[in-house]
Amino acid sequence: MESVVNWFYPLIQAILNGLLTGALYALIGMGMALIFGVMRIVNFTHGAFLMLGMYVSYVFFLKTGINPYLGFMVSGAILFVIGYAVYMGLLRRIPGQVDFMVILVTLGLALIITDGVQLVFGADYHQINLPLVARNFRLGTQIFVNAPWLLSFVIALVLAVALYLVVTHTMFGRAARAIAQNPYPSPLMGINVNRVQAISFGIGAAAAGVAGALLLPVFYLYPGVGSQFELKSFVMVVLGGMGSIQGAAIAGLVLGVVESLTSLYWGNEWALAVDFVIFILVLSLKPSGIFGSQRA
Amino acid sequence: MSHRQFIAAAGFFLLSFAVPLVVHSDYTLQILFRVFLFAALGLAWNLVGGYAGQLSLGHAAYFGVGAYGLALLSKVGIPPWLSLFLGVGLAVISAAIIGLVSFRLRGPYFALCTIAFAEVVRLVAKNLPDVTGGDVGTQVPLLFTESSIKSFYISGVLLTALAFVLTAWIERSKFGYYLMAIREDEDTAMSVGVNTSRVKLWSLLISAALTAIGGALYASLFLFIVPDQVMSLDMSVEIAIVPMLGGAGTLFGPVIGSIVLETAAEIFKNIFQEAHLLIYGVLVVMVVIFLPEGIAGTIVNKLRLFKKAPAGSLAAPVPVRPEEEAERTAFRK
Amino acid sequence: MVLLEAKHVSKRFGGLKAVNDVSFTVSRGEITFIVGPNGAGKTTLFNLITGVVHPDSGSIYFQDQDITKLAPDQAAKLGIGRTFQIVKPLGNLTVLENVMLGAFLRTSKPAQAEEEARGILTFLQMEKFLHLPARGMGLPMLKRLEIARALATQPKLILLDEVVAGLPTVEAIKLAMLLKRLPEWGISAIGGIEHVMQVVMKIADRVIVIDRGVLIAEGKPQEVVDRPEVIEAYLGPKYKEIGL
Repeated sequence: MESVVNWFYPLIQAILNGLLTGALYALIGMGMALIFGVMRIVNFTHGAFLMLGMYVSYVFFLKTGINPYLGFMVSGAILFVIGYAVYMGLLRRIPGQVDFMVILVTLGLALIITDGVQLVFGADYHQINLPLVARNFRLGTQIFVNAPWLLSFVIALVLAVALYLVVTHTMFGRAARAIAQNPYPSPLMGINVNRVQAISFGIGAAAAGVAGALLLPVFYLYPGVGSQFELKSFVMVVLGGMGSIQGAAIAGLVLGVVESLTSLYWGNEWALAVDFVIFILVLSLKPSGIFGSQRA
Repeated sequence: MSHRQFIAAAGFFLLSFAVPLVVHSDYTLQILFRVFLFAALGLAWNLVGGYAGQLSLGHAAYFGVGAYGLALLSKVGIPPWLSLFLGVGLAVISAAIIGLVSFRLRGPYFALCTIAFAEVVRLVAKNLPDVTGGDVGTQVPLLFTESSIKSFYISGVLLTALAFVLTAWIERSKFGYYLMAIREDEDTAMSVGVNTSRVKLWSLLISAALTAIGGALYASLFLFIVPDQVMSLDMSVEIAIVPMLGGAGTLFGPVIGSIVLETAAEIFKNIFQEAHLLIYGVLVVMVVIFLPEGIAGTIVNKLRLFKKAPAGSLAAPVPVRPEEEAERTAFRK
Repeated sequence: MVLLEAKHVSKRFGGLKAVNDVSFTVSRGEITFIVGPNGAGKTTLFNLITGVVHPDSGSIYFQDQDITKLAPDQAAKLGIGRTFQIVKPLGNLTVLENVMLGAFLRTSKPAQAEEEARGILTFLQMEKFLHLPARGMGLPMLKRLEIARALATQPKLILLDEVVAGLPTVEAIKLAMLLKRLPEWGISAIGGIEHVMQVVMKIADRVIVIDRGVLIAEGKPQEVVDRPEVIEAYLGPKYKEIGL
């Protein structure tokens, strides 16, 4: 019995932790997938949006004492507006929406946002201390569930489902999917392409912002925190099939678990590397993604 | 190259070689070194990204392999210049692997794949402290007997001149035409017999070699390198942005881009300390929106300074739709 | 003598059989036209011959060599040239440079490629446009550019996909008369055409009719055009356009 306990429980714990983290990843990935699906924009600003959401929540918490598990809505709202404005004011103006230029602009924007935040807040690490953070629930005798992660899991799950329902059941969602399939005839069907695209971009940014807020209790806050999530978003979107929201969500969960297991057996530092190896493998072997449609 | 271009270039390089005779400030020479380094890196990137149109955001991999090649191989006793040479070889091998996998992908997928590979290289360097020194970094030997910044500056000018001449030659050759054809339309290129995979790969190998040399020079100047410095996405982005701003697919673009960007960055680093990247970002965004042809591209169009219209630019070719053409132009005879 | 032979070639895309058990031959020195209504499978056939896609079954021989599984650049090297239905000029290059690209298949020297390109462009009466960027050209010239580029590769067989579509009739006929001279230079041609029948009647040596992926008739233009199956494939207004 002893030997089973030695590897079994850590494994289950790792998988559980992975799923908890994965839900958050899923939210970030879904945002990126929405943006790529509707506009074929490779959004290099996504990580910066996440970081902004984190800072917004932080300031909100400092000013009002309201913790991120409620404050995330503020982050989401502000990031939605920012995303909408960025699309309308900047991205829409790129002639032909050419890959090169979109990537350059979103990269430039990310630099501006990141450095801007650094100017205002400094490069120091910040963190908030919630009494919640130390609380763990016990499942059985060996498995622990960390309270903040559970909360963020639930919130992320609810939002992810909500996003999915919006995309599949609302007029907006239908319009977005129409544009994703073929942008040219869409205006002919009465779709205000620019507005739908701007809203999609706003939602994507908001998703990143909310994820940032949910990360605040369990992560250090600093201007560069976004870039690792930026890269993970790419992995999720490709894994899940470009533009597939459900795919990105599942990919997020998978990523969380894979990272967790990698940390368990090989050490933390290899987690990100494994992400990329999987990324490269999927790109070379099945570019349409593990769950993807034939739209590589 | 037209006569005017040749004279301009020759004059530029001759003057550049003469600079150390007049400028004695180490600080200034170091900035100028950086300008030339990124001009060379930009010219190298330009072969793949500008002429062939393959947006690589993972060039830091070759830069870093060049740097670490010099550092680690000389640690085991191989003389520095031989280490540099072997390091370049390693970079070329990396490029072959990365190219074989990545070039099968098109558009944004290719860019993302190059990022992924570069990140893997960086993470491997970070996580193998016994081999590479890990996060802490590793020492780099001095390439020149006198540790004078002058030698580095001259090397920088030489590397840029090499890359420049190479680019000028390629631009007029069959290889160059094939590169540009691939950029414009890969399917068309294949229909006239271009082995696009092979051509793309060769452009990457040449590009990687030049980039690796630059990496080794950079490393030797600082005498100490760290993965997050030489193999980061930030480095890849800087390498790519310089030629894109200057005018991708043009001969002078990367040089102009480097002069503008690196001096601007230096100026703003002094004024704003922490926020110089912000200015970078602002510059990038403004140029993309207002000067899509890049600086050199726009100058060419406006002033007609050089004989040919730029062979390529930031703006990707607009696909020609027959209906558009038919209505847009009347009969030309 | 037989230049190209397709044997029982089939290709499906998802649920649709684009090309269904098609067999035909093209002889040296001939101009053959593949005729069929929209969606009949002409472009797919062209893509199969040039290696852009590979058949699910059947084989294709060019000069007695099996080219079924070749890649497009290999097909070009063997001597199969091709124009595209939707013109694909290399927009940022000049007209001359576009054609030089084709010429580079047979030479490595830019000077020689330029000479070749000039010659072909002169044949196609495009001398005035040599140094203009391809992007700004009108459709008739772009169609000629497609042909020039393909001719520069010195093909033995050139595939012309809808090469006169979208051109005013006068232009179409002019271009057709130029193309009629190709066999004089040892270049055989296969044209794909949907409805500009005047051209077909004027310059085709043989006609192959395809409808919904199936070969339904072949022979001399006059023979084929009268057949009920062919007329039925082209019901209504399109029949009137043939005007015989």
